[in-house]
Order: sequence, then structure tokens, then C-alpha cells
Amino acid sequence: MEAMTSLPLMTLMQLLFDTLLGFALLWLGWRALASPDLFQAIVLFIAFGLLMAIVWVRLDAPDVALAEAAIGAGLTGALLLTTLARLEAKNRSKSALEKKHKVWLMTENVKLKTASFLWLMVILMLLVSGLVYAVLTLQEQTFELQMLVSKNLESSGVSNPVTAVLLNFRGYDTLLEMSVLLLALLGVWSFGGIPKPHESLPGPVLNMLSRLLIPLLIIVAGYFLWVGSDAPGGAFQGGSVLGAAGVLLLLVGWRLCIRFVGLPLRIILVFGLGVFVSAAVVLIFLGRQFMEYPPSVAGALILLIEAAATLSIGITLAALFLVGRPEFRRHK
Amino acid sequence: MEIFYLSIAFFLLLTLLAGLWRVLRGPTAADRMLAAQLFGTTAVACVLLLAQAFERPVLRDVALIFALLAAVTAIAFVRRAWASGEHSDAAK
Repeated sequence: MEAMTSLPLMTLMQLLFDTLLGFALLWLGWRALASPDLFQAIVLFIAFGLLMAIVWVRLDAPDVALAEAAIGAGLTGALLLTTLARLEAKNRSKSALEKKHKVWLMTENVKLKTASFLWLMVILMLLVSGLVYAVLTLQEQTFELQMLVSKNLESSGVSNPVTAVLLNFRGYDTLLEMSVLLLALLGVWSFGGIPKPHESLPGPVLNMLSRLLIPLLIIVAGYFLWVGSDAPGGAFQGGSVLGAAGVLLLLVGWRLCIRFVGLPLRIILVFGLGVFVSAAVVLIFLGRQFMEYPPSVAGALILLIEAAATLSIGITLAALFLVGRPEFRRHK
Repeated sequence: MEIFYLSIAFFLLLTLLAGLWRVLRGPTAADRMLAAQLFGTTAVACVLLLAQAFERPVLRDVALIFALLAAVTAIAFVRRAWASGEHSDAAK
């Protein structure tokens, strides 16, 4: 009897919660984009990441919620804050020079604005129509796919369906994602060396906090890597937590010893991708398809690939935070 | 009991939205950043309540990540944005 009466109330409460969450998310997204103050926009973006993770929780996608919490709300916020600080430092040193050319720049800017605005609109319209088309042509019944995954779950070597899809059934996706991350780092590195650090020594509070937090972050990264085979978690989640540990180390002023900056760092960066590709290629020589893991060793293979990927993803994210190729410092 | 947890989560979401006022008003960067940190704490509580309400213990891991990484954002702010200084609306 009690269950009967409380059920509609529960649905109503869920509806209220979801509606508020949805509108808050849209509003935050709009404000973050429209805010003229960059710092305010970053804070709004961090709040957006938090709410987005809660939305994924409500959509019953804990794997995505974990990734969003780690990357969207945590790492990206720190990355954006550092970028903003660097931008402002650059602007201060440049502003004296630019004052002379200011009038010229402004007139030029107006001309550029209308032309680039039109182009931007065209590109955005194309993008939006592509997205609308993709949503409209989306298959309605994904139930068959779910059945397909759960039917083949046993041969995948893991019991978490998300990990099974990402590392086994559709391993290509993860492989390409990891290459994208590596390419992003190469892009950042191509901008040149890191600017001279002008950092104060960390105070006693920060010193203590980093000593407590960094081992904890590393343990949690290992936990997510291990738990990924039968519960939400995995290489990307573990990697981003490991990356956060690296970012924290860089923030308190720690730098990689110059001996390890060259080849050793690069080997670790491509280690994940290397293990992934070589496992797939070795299988071809053993008479199987590219990336077709034999069910008997699939579990161990996935764990091996994920362990290598976690390490590489973590180090790549931390290296992204440095903004620039670390080796450059030697020449200066 | 589930309805109780969900109601509290809803209330926390409301307080989070109230906190946005501080983000928009400022006046200093530290006010805004502290509001974001408070959101992090609220989100931890919110996700933990949702984990109880829908009996999904897995969600506690999400709260764990929130709690761990909120500190990283705060430290990035203190070490970079705040240390480089002069970032307050009062100075403008």
C-alpha cells in the first residue's frame, strides 16, 4: 500500500529534479559562453562540468559521469585557469607596445569582424544541420545492440559492458581517441618551449596538502584501472586522475629531472598506444584478425592495454598542462 | 526513504543555483572561485544522495573524483590566477 502511494511522488520528485538540472545546465552553458569576463566564464564552466556529471548520473551512465567529473569539472578548470593567467601576463607585457597601434588595429578589426562573422555563421549552420541530421537518423531501438553486447560479454574477457565495448568490440574507437590525445600534445609542443617559470615556493599548507593528496590520487587512479573490468572505471578515468596528480606536482613547482625529459618521457607518452597497436598486430601473426582478442586471454590483454593506456593518458594530460615542449629549457 | 534522499538532493541543487549569484556578482575573483569550490562540495553531497536514493553504490566513485579534483582546481587558482595578481574587479 505504501509503495503504491510513494511511487507517483517519487516520479514527480525525479521530474522536478531533472527539469531543474536541465534548465540550470542550459543557463550555465549560455552564461559561460556569453560572459565578457573570462575568469567568470571559467568558473561558470567548472560549475557546468559539475552539473553535466550529475546529468550523466541521472542518465544512468556512471562511466561517462566519472570521465566528466575528472576531466570536465577538474582538469579542464585547472588548465583554463593556468591559460588565463598566462594570457594576462602576456597581455601586460604587450600592452605598452600595442597602445601605439591601437587605432589601426581597431579599424582593421571591424572589417575583419563582419567577414569572419559571416563565415563563422555558415560553418556553424553546416555543423548544426549535420548534428540535426545525425539525431534525426539515429536508430530508435538500441535494444538490439544491448542484446548483442550482453550476449557476447562472456567472450570479451571483462564483465563491465562499457569496457567490453571500448576495449574489445570497438577497440578502434579507443585507439583513435588515444591518438587524438597524443596529437593534441604534439600540437601544443609545436608552439615551442615553455616560458620561464616565475614561481614562489609553496607555503606549508600547500606543501602538506600535496604530500597527502598526490599518493591518494595515484592510488585512486590504480583503483579505477583495476575496477574498470567489472564496474564503471577504466583507462580514461584512471588516466585523468593520474593526470591530476601530475598537474598537482607541476603546480607546487616540481619539474621532471632533465635526464628524463628527452627520450624516457616520449617513450612513456607513446607507451599506451604502442602496447595497443602491437597487441593488435601480434594477433595478426597468430592467425587472428586485427584486434581480435582470443577469449582465453582477452581479460589479461585488456588489463595490460589499459594499464599502459592509463600511464600514457595520465602523463599526456600532465604534459599538456605544461603548455610547451619541456626540452626547450635546456637551450636557454 | 528514497524520496527523502531525492528531496534533499533537490534542495542541494537549489542551493547550488543560489550560489551562482555569487559567481555572477563577484566582486573579486576569489569570491567566484570559492563559490565554485562550494559547488564542488554540494555536488559531492548531491551525488552521494543520488547513490543512496537509487541504490547505485557505483555513484560514490563519482563523488570521490569530485572531492579529489576540486582541490586541484583550487590550487591552480591560488598558484596561477591569483598569484599572477591584479585579478579583481575592484582594480578595474
